[in-house]
Amino acid sequence: MFTWVVDVLLLGAVLQPSVAYLSSRAGMRRLTPLFCIVVLGISMALFYPLYGEVSQGIVLVPVAASILGSALEVDGLGIFVGLVAVLLGLLSAIFSFRYMEHDSGLGGYYTLLILMTAGMVGIAFAGDLFTLYVFWEITSITSYVLVAFRKDQWEAVEAGFKYLIMSASGSAILLLAFSLLYGMTGTLNLAGMASVMKRTPLADSPWLWLTFLLVTVGFGVKAAIVPLHTWLPDAHPAAPSPVSALLSGIVIETAVYAFSRILFTVFSPAALSWAMFIAVLCLVTMTTGNIMALLQNDVKRLLAYSSIAQVGYILVGLAAGTRMGVTGSVLHILNHALMKGSAFLCAGAFIHSVGSRDLSELAGIGRRMPASATAFAISLFALAGTPPLNGFISKVLLFAGAFEAGMSWLAIAGVLNSVLSLAYYLRLMLTFINPRPSERVRVAKEAPISMLAPILTMTVLIVIFGVWPDPAIAFADKAAAALMNVEAYTSAVVRPP
Amino acid sequence: MLEFYLGCSLLLVVVALYCFVAKRNLVRLVLAVEILINAGNLAFMGFAAYRNPNVVDLLPQAVVTLSIAIAGSVTAIALTLVLNAYKHYKTLDVTELRRLRG
Repeated sequence: MFTWVVDVLLLGAVLQPSVAYLSSRAGMRRLTPLFCIVVLGISMALFYPLYGEVSQGIVLVPVAASILGSALEVDGLGIFVGLVAVLLGLLSAIFSFRYMEHDSGLGGYYTLLILMTAGMVGIAFAGDLFTLYVFWEITSITSYVLVAFRKDQWEAVEAGFKYLIMSASGSAILLLAFSLLYGMTGTLNLAGMASVMKRTPLADSPWLWLTFLLVTVGFGVKAAIVPLHTWLPDAHPAAPSPVSALLSGIVIETAVYAFSRILFTVFSPAALSWAMFIAVLCLVTMTTGNIMALLQNDVKRLLAYSSIAQVGYILVGLAAGTRMGVTGSVLHILNHALMKGSAFLCAGAFIHSVGSRDLSELAGIGRRMPASATAFAISLFALAGTPPLNGFISKVLLFAGAFEAGMSWLAIAGVLNSVLSLAYYLRLMLTFINPRPSERVRVAKEAPISMLAPILTMTVLIVIFGVWPDPAIAFADKAAAALMNVEAYTSAVVRPP
Repeated sequence: MLEFYLGCSLLLVVVALYCFVAKRNLVRLVLAVEILINAGNLAFMGFAAYRNPNVVDLLPQAVVTLSIAIAGSVTAIALTLVLNAYKHYKTLDVTELRRLRG
């Protein structure tokens, strides 16, 4: 109904609670996480035939209620983001196997994990704003519960409430923006909107600007664009580490994806000049993220602020709007998912064996847990953009794109920000190789193999995409072309009049 | 008539924003989110009825029906969190929930 990839996920989410109940009755509690891993694995395998179809042309899946104009429209960019979401979901689920084993309510946890992934894939595949809104809310609601999953801790509850209020208001503002878009065009289908916007130029009409501002605020809350980011440094550390990896690695990027899809498909044909506006936002976002990260003493808060800065880098390519810049943005979504996913899972491994997130408590952990600490160091170097790792490749593309678009000030600011970010990444690494370990670290043990496996998978991918980036760049370039070629996206649905 | 509905929708947005700024009770903040969602719903309904003369479009009605259901689930989760927050803090005052620095 929603392509096999999403169907399997939704079906898995429906079955997961029964599996959890039956397996706990049968005394085989390990079946619960295994079922989740199998569902995500099957869904990921199903991307392969879908990719074959997408490379032939845009795949259009009319949903049963076709009178409502709702449909899925899968193109190169959608499948790219969806694949990254499922990959990160799968690795987080494998990591959760040992990390969450002492928590109760695991049936709910894995159900929400699958549903959140399904929501993100749905956002990536959505061809109209109705479908997008529904999947958007699926992702949002599951993420509120996952942030506040350990509800016996005050931190999780407070962070979850703050996240819920901000994010739900963002979604409400988005609904208002969608209603205005409907009022202007008479349809909610993205392709239909694009063709209407093209025929009736509304450029610089105050309604168009109002809608644009509402869309920016609505997606900006979820994508943590400064000054709407204040929930993120609370919510991401409070969540269990695999959930933090998903939230930081892909959920905020999904918001950036949806934002860019609407920017390019709806506002670009309407001849709205949004580039400079986004450029200013991304300058503020990356600078604030980096400066605030310097001041943190909590490893997960530091990584959360670094995520804000990385969203700023992703926006650089969108502001530039050139093929190279957008390719950089798309590639950075993949790379950031790998780098930040790996970093959060490593942080989770440290927290699992030390029981603290404070940097002073974690001093010297690298000597006790060499494998995780090495993976952590690699992901941090990649986040800072050091060659020969994957973060370097996408940052080069992003900043070259900004130069190409004549925004050299933005590219220079981005490079300076990368240098600034190296300061706190190096500080983290120095803490971890501190020769005087703290009390708690002395008894810490290396993470179990099921936690190391996803971390090492991501580390290997970080290195591979850094040393041999051609396939990733080709994939990202196709995705960027799909985003920028509004004609092709429109003509798949709307017959030219 | 369309202007009337859009004006009411704007009024609801203002009420919700006022609530966010001025109210300190957690439940009132949840209600503010509800009001904000209803502003969107009302705008949708206004456009559905008056955008094309003599035609009522079905699409926005489907969106609004679903959006009401979604708003219900958001509220359910929000109230669960309020309950848990009350257990931890013994108060519903939002200014007491300031242990995290944001």
